[in-house]
Amino acid sequence: MQEKIIEIEKLSFYYEESRVLNQISASFSRNSIAAVIGASGSGKSTLLTTINRLCDEVAGTRVTGRVKIMLDRQKIDIYQPGISLPWLRRKVGMVFQIPNPLPMSIYKNLTLPLKMAGIKNRGLQHDRVERVLKDTFLWAEVKDRLREDARTLSGGQQQRLCIARALILEPEVLLLDEPTSSLDECAVAEIENLLLSLKESCTLLMVSHDLAQVERVADTVVEIADGALVGSKDKV
Amino acid sequence: MTRFYNFMLYLFSGLCGLLLVGSAFTLVGFLLWQGASIMGLKLIFGTLDMSEIIDVIFWQRIVIDGLWPAMVGTFFLVFMALSTALPLGLGAGIYLAEYAGGRTKTFFSIVFDLLAGVPSIVIGLFGFSLTLYLHRYFPGLRPCLLISGLALALLILPYLVRTTQTALEELPDSLRLTAAALGAEKSAVIISVLLPQALPGIFSGIVLAIGRAAEDTAVIMLTGVVASAGIPRSLFDNYEALPFYIYYTASQFSDQYELQQGFGAALVLLVICILLFTGAGLIRKKATLRLLYQHRHP
Amino acid sequence: MTAACVFVTLGILVFMLVLGLPLLTPDSLHLIFASEWAPDRGLFGVLPFIYGTLAIVSLSLLFAVPLSLGNAVLIHLLLPPAAAGLLHRLIKMMTGIPTVIYGFVGIFLLVPFIREWFGSGSGMSILSAGLLLALLISPTMILIFVESFAAVPAGHIRALTALGGSLRQRLFYLLLPGARNGIMTGIILGIGRALGDTMIALMVAGNATARPESILDPVRTLTAQIALVMAADFDSIEFKTIFVCGILLYMWAAVLTLTLRFLNHGSVKSGFRGVLS
Repeated sequence: MQEKIIEIEKLSFYYEESRVLNQISASFSRNSIAAVIGASGSGKSTLLTTINRLCDEVAGTRVTGRVKIMLDRQKIDIYQPGISLPWLRRKVGMVFQIPNPLPMSIYKNLTLPLKMAGIKNRGLQHDRVERVLKDTFLWAEVKDRLREDARTLSGGQQQRLCIARALILEPEVLLLDEPTSSLDECAVAEIENLLLSLKESCTLLMVSHDLAQVERVADTVVEIADGALVGSKDKV
Repeated sequence: MTRFYNFMLYLFSGLCGLLLVGSAFTLVGFLLWQGASIMGLKLIFGTLDMSEIIDVIFWQRIVIDGLWPAMVGTFFLVFMALSTALPLGLGAGIYLAEYAGGRTKTFFSIVFDLLAGVPSIVIGLFGFSLTLYLHRYFPGLRPCLLISGLALALLILPYLVRTTQTALEELPDSLRLTAAALGAEKSAVIISVLLPQALPGIFSGIVLAIGRAAEDTAVIMLTGVVASAGIPRSLFDNYEALPFYIYYTASQFSDQYELQQGFGAALVLLVICILLFTGAGLIRKKATLRLLYQHRHP
Repeated sequence: MTAACVFVTLGILVFMLVLGLPLLTPDSLHLIFASEWAPDRGLFGVLPFIYGTLAIVSLSLLFAVPLSLGNAVLIHLLLPPAAAGLLHRLIKMMTGIPTVIYGFVGIFLLVPFIREWFGSGSGMSILSAGLLLALLISPTMILIFVESFAAVPAGHIRALTALGGSLRQRLFYLLLPGARNGIMTGIILGIGRALGDTMIALMVAGNATARPESILDPVRTLTAQIALVMAADFDSIEFKTIFVCGILLYMWAAVLTLTLRFLNHGSVKSGFRGVLS
């Protein structure tokens, strides 16, 4: 039995008066890919945002229950008071459904999280950029155009850049919200290979509505309907 | 029948269009017709020759019968108003767009709306009463450049707040969420991600505010502008300004040449304001273009 | 910082009240709302200036509203895109013309014209000021009208056109009702601008203190009164009345601003899902 890195206990989520998630409990193992599936509007994207507390950025949201994550070798309840949100989000990276490079150069997109985390050494920054771009198989494609606007990349490249950007802080968990749904087939294959290779270094939690894809990449599948957990199984 | 109604619609609207465009062209045309012949260095510097003009520019000589002191006065006014209102306006705009929420935001929005709606003469009156009030503590104080600058700052403050706030609020929320998901502190999100994106909007707001400060007459009339003062020597001095010069000439001109100078001044002010106005529009447009092409040619 | 801004705003109001308050005793109130302004006879009524302001503002609206609607319809509905764009740009540019320039051209062009045309008086009159103010407030009104026409859903317009609707029907059944709030907003902004304007009234309305008999008579507005009395002795009642004028203007402006807020209330709130996707 592998060590559990994320444990969700009786998590409920409210947006204004309505309950979006209802008493969800689940746990996920280290170095695995877990897929969250369910109909659209079932609350699967919302579940992701409760794990890096990005939901806190939207007014009118409320969470009850606990989420414990193994961070820096300690099990931490991320909803306990005094947790630094920027610190949490550096440990728990996120990739969105639509590729969202920030309106700046490719290089700056990658160094921004480093700067914000206080890593100001230029040499170190450059090494990290090179490493994550190689990890995401982008290096050969973009190494000569690092100063160009990130929005000049193709959709698949943009999404890989966003994954690279999330990886640059070496997170322990990576959340992916339907990372391939806005991409064409070629790009989907690229991203799926990338995800499988990332399992070595961190734990991935991915929302998907493509069951074939789940079959291809996921180790664990969790199904949500109407905000409640309806099934969970580990693939052997 | 339909044809008839449509015809009437075209006729009425066409007449309205002609009337408006005709009036605008008459206004500008009349100014050009009366004022174009006087355009030139003589209008600004009087009878001085080239080397004397250079002296004037370096503060070595005064101009007696030209627009120079009024232009310098207007420049000082704009500079003072902007340097006071800009930090306040930016700060309040950022606060309203990114920090304030719920009731606080509504309350402050109403306050700034109210301030924006106050007629400029009332702001001038406020500046004047402030001088009266301060006079008790600083007996030497009378209406002056400083008071006018502060009153004008009050006039343009709501513009700056509103444009900053709108420029930030128009940015997609995905920018904020993306940056937050990367572990950025809120202040870092604002400084390194949001403000650079909002800059064109903020900048065009600043240009509009400059235009507003340069053209306003009512505020300065009550707070220290005079017909003839030369270049002000300090913040506590009286000063001249272009719009007041125009107003004053309209009622007090004594000969044909002075009247012509008035037309010249009106033309100068019109050109400045139209340029500022078009400039503000261009900044906005150019900024959107730049977003598309920047970094292509570093 | 914001606190400072709020403080300043409230400060204006408090200041005006403090300085104007001594006047609001029954005795002086009686004086101030007397119907005549004749300081040499001890009469300090501001009523003539209220009449003057209202006369000029209503006349300017009478000209400006149809003029602006006509131009907005022209831009949105009737002109080919290139011409509409050109007119739109010209009107935008007109909003940048300083008011003192309207006043200046008014004195030397419109006033003599009105004097000749009607053959009586000086030409400085409610009519001159009203016409110029209409020109001053129309561009802003047009821009707002056009914007609110454009906000009428395109689907509705396609549906009506598919049913064989004419231009006139599109205007009266869809655009005008759909843009009602926008049109009200434009008009209220226009009123505010006309009410608060000083220079045009001061320069071309003639500044007479008698109550006007016709639109060809000169009047003085509240704003012009403030500008004109400044020179007087600071302790005189005459001087203090200008604070009454100031308070009146401030309150009218506040009422207009609040009406605007009320009209444009109910802005869309983006939901949680909307934010994320």
